[in-house]
Amino acid sequence: MNRRRDNRKAFYFTIVAAMVMAIIPLPGLVQAIWPFWMGLVVIYWALEYPQLMSLGLAFALGLVLDFLTVSLLGLHALRLVILAYLVLRFRARLRFFPPWQLGLSVLALLVNDRIILLWINSLVGEPLPPLSYWLPAIVGGLLWGPFFILLDRLRSASRGVTP
Amino acid sequence: MPTGSPGVNANFFGTGAQTARLMLYGMLAIILMAVDQRGHYIPRVRAVIGTLFEPLYHAVDWPVRTAESVAGELRSREELQGKNDELRAALLAREADLQRLETLQEENRRLRDLLGGADSLVFETRFAELVRVDLDPFSHQVMINKGSDDGVEEGQAVIDAAGVMGQVEDVQMHLSRVRLISDPNHALPVQINRTGLRTVAVGTGETGTMLLTSVPLEADIREGDLVVTSGLGDRFPSGYPVATVELVSREEGQTFAEVEARPLAALDRGREVLLVVPQFTEEAFIGPVPAEQAVEPPSVEEGEQP
Repeated sequence: MNRRRDNRKAFYFTIVAAMVMAIIPLPGLVQAIWPFWMGLVVIYWALEYPQLMSLGLAFALGLVLDFLTVSLLGLHALRLVILAYLVLRFRARLRFFPPWQLGLSVLALLVNDRIILLWINSLVGEPLPPLSYWLPAIVGGLLWGPFFILLDRLRSASRGVTP
Repeated sequence: MPTGSPGVNANFFGTGAQTARLMLYGMLAIILMAVDQRGHYIPRVRAVIGTLFEPLYHAVDWPVRTAESVAGELRSREELQGKNDELRAALLAREADLQRLETLQEENRRLRDLLGGADSLVFETRFAELVRVDLDPFSHQVMINKGSDDGVEEGQAVIDAAGVMGQVEDVQMHLSRVRLISDPNHALPVQINRTGLRTVAVGTGETGTMLLTSVPLEADIREGDLVVTSGLGDRFPSGYPVATVELVSREEGQTFAEVEARPLAALDRGREVLLVVPQFTEEAFIGPVPAEQAVEPPSVEEGEQP
């Protein structure tokens, strides 16, 4: 019983942190490679603790991000719902992947996410972005390993168990 | 709280239901995006909900601002002195320009009086700073730290030291959002300063390029021409610099020339901006304005400021 509540603490913390990460001002170079943190957070919770991450919640988190970053309303919602769906759908398989394979899967998920973003933006009339557009997905894939370990530590720490 | 392992159940028996839910949420998101893109409902919702996020914006903005001011205090004396000299020289040059401007303004007004023009507008500007938060780059919007409490109004023009930046899209209590002229959906009535040729500057989504539309093939326009606001459309005051013409390509068989211009304002790296407050002088609509009344307000302001 206690365990679920403590998971919740870590869960809320990661969500708020990802929101701050979305609007924190960065120098141009870092900005160009800054990964989609909320996407990583949604992937993590859908993978590790799916009771906490439903499609509805992913949608709601996306709407909050849309308001927060003033993007087209529904854009982040769509991206996060698709991420959450794919992870929840293939969760049974993803869970048993060795770390490097899981990392590659996350990379594929993030690239897919960039494709969706590209598609919507081109519908809205944005010009085709430069190649560096794909960097955040690649960096996100590379950071998945450390990110996963960090969140695992965070979870066990908030549960009061030393890892 | 459901007990057992609902996650496992959902995965093994509920994939159909889950796909249905994906469709539902996906449709909902797409409908929202379409409404946001076309309609005028969402901006109002945004203004209300944006107010809820004000604390979060300030929480992100504050440490950055503090770090910047600490860095400012740590700067060396020589560096500051050098900067000071530089600024003093720049100020002197501007003041010299201003002297000439005043005589020109006077002359301009007299000529307008002769023509019986009803165009005498006096503009006041108000200082504002960008809030240090990074919004979605595809939204082409920035946040400034003045809101309805400071008298900011929707549709106000925002400029920086070099040129026009955009217009206020919506106003919250202590913040407002500014849509930049680089937005592909933003069009700005402009004219070529040299010839007076009127056209419209449309954003392209890139901060470095704007398109000038409907320029006839035989129009007198060339690279390096200054593009200024024309004042048509009543949103932007006339005469503010917007961009310089970068590329003119005239292809035979086309109706219009293709003209690209580079915005002068620092759209992606500015920090300080000015809000333009149009003040229609009362007599402006009736007829010529007496000399003192029209020029007095700004000169009094300037005298009081230092």
